[in-house]
Amino acid sequence: MDHQVNERIIEVKNLDFTYQGADKPALRGINLTVRKGELIGITGANGAGKTTLSYCLNGLIPSFYEGLFAGEVRIKGRSIFDLSIREISQWVGSVFQDPETQLVSANVEEELAFGPENFGIHPIEIEKRINFALKAVGIEGLRHSTVDALSGGQKQRVAIAAVLAMFPEIIILDEPTAELDPVGTDEVFGVLRRLNREFGLTVIIIEHKIEQLATSCDRLLIMDQGRIVFGGAPDEIFRHWREVHKLGVRLPQVTEFFGKYFGSEPRKLPVTLEEAQALAENLLSLGNGEQDEPNRYY
Amino acid sequence: MSQTAIIKLKNLKQDYGRGEPVLKEINLEIYQGEFVAIIGQNGAGKTTLIKHLNGLLRPTAGNIFIKGRDIGQEPISVLAQKVGYVFQNPDHQIFMDQVFQEVAFGLKNLSLPPAEIESRTENALKKVGIYHLKDAAPLSLSKGHRQRVALASVLAMEPEIIILDEPTTGQDYLETKQIMDLIADLNKKGHTVIFITHDMQLVAAYAKRVILMGNGEILFDGAPKEVLNRTELLARTNLKPLQITEFSQSLRKYGIPDNIIQVDALVEIFREKTARSRRALVNCG
Repeated sequence: MDHQVNERIIEVKNLDFTYQGADKPALRGINLTVRKGELIGITGANGAGKTTLSYCLNGLIPSFYEGLFAGEVRIKGRSIFDLSIREISQWVGSVFQDPETQLVSANVEEELAFGPENFGIHPIEIEKRINFALKAVGIEGLRHSTVDALSGGQKQRVAIAAVLAMFPEIIILDEPTAELDPVGTDEVFGVLRRLNREFGLTVIIIEHKIEQLATSCDRLLIMDQGRIVFGGAPDEIFRHWREVHKLGVRLPQVTEFFGKYFGSEPRKLPVTLEEAQALAENLLSLGNGEQDEPNRYY
Repeated sequence: MSQTAIIKLKNLKQDYGRGEPVLKEINLEIYQGEFVAIIGQNGAGKTTLIKHLNGLLRPTAGNIFIKGRDIGQEPISVLAQKVGYVFQNPDHQIFMDQVFQEVAFGLKNLSLPPAEIESRTENALKKVGIYHLKDAAPLSLSKGHRQRVALASVLAMEPEIIILDEPTTGQDYLETKQIMDLIADLNKKGHTVIFITHDMQLVAAYAKRVILMGNGEILFDGAPKEVLNRTELLARTNLKPLQITEFSQSLRKYGIPDNIIQVDALVEIFREKTARSRRALVNCG
């Protein structure tokens, strides 16, 4: 186990990528350092390059998609050109939008055993991993369920558990909640936060659901036309809420609320419900003798 | 107002022949010009319900009336002229290799004169803003554009009723807004619109009526404002209030209404409330 704090687990330098036959690059001048244990959200309009960037981190580029590649991508210090997809997949697990396309087995237990079996892992070890993965995503009770009988949120958690059974250090999810109802969405985000906090798993999640991203992520990247145009803590990024919104990104409703309420120039705004409540109570109790002055939130 | 329902479901049941009901006993009337959102958890029966409205599914028991007529075994090809259906996944309905041909396909089946086929196809493409793509291959387009091709194919048939199954899933904010504005425009022009969604912001912004489904039943039927603040009722079918509603509810003790579903409405109220506190502060001083 590597306990090195601040390990640069992913490094991307000056990355450009153009798909074969495309007339313009999908990625332009990407620079990104991901440290071990970070929970990073990537958002932006469709076509901005989010999925292409994820392909560069899980090895699908350059192994499966051809194109013009410039710059550097390193996973755990090694260039992706020196790594086989098999090596990368032991470190980087991927979860996609539609769990149906990812699940290959009839029942949950078989699904979780599938990956490790393919890597020739000993049955006793596989058993341990299945137990860990089921527990990690909170579906111990579904071990013997048939996949077809599960709800969308449950299926997506099985897909995450199947990836976890490979003991990856990094998990990359591409719109894992697009097809889920609001409670299913919260289940998936809850599991990711827990895996990140308790096991130090590095999580990179591509999503449009901005309120969940703002609540869960250490760092948010906003992409536009192949570039990362904003990157930082959610409350730093949403100082620029108007520009962000213009890029086709929704705002957390509480951020939009305070942005409109304060108007004028950029300032730090609440990005979660809790932050918004604290600030609102301050503003509302002002003058009721409860407080002399509102918290300076900027 | 004694208006007949454009859609009427009477004791509609569906069990897919397995004995276990997916729809339990649905009774529902929808009137001309309504803009209806159907919401509820994955597996609540939303898609099953709307597939009955254009004959994609036939009920296990019960009746379906469109414009007062029991559709019985009326074929889909006939129903398609009254009820347009846009699938959740556009690729489930696109099969021609050119956008224009795809949109014209349904009209050709009606054996309309070529000039009319052409003008209706062009109109439909213009309405959804993809006329410039008429010669493209649908599968070469983005998902947002494929979704519009599917919508144009339905519009070309000029149906009075338009049904959409999660028309914005996987779309970004601007694409979502464009599609929903387009649908709202069709509704203004008199089309009856029914759409399924998990996106409560769309329900709050566009729908005039909400049908809340859970476990094959209708749990609630009414205005968005009457249901989107009912946390416990929503939770029964895996939904929850909007963040702005939860926020307004947490401020109840300050006299903020607890049924706010639009950001702008709360901004206005909040400005008023805080202006008063500010004045009070000045007066105390």
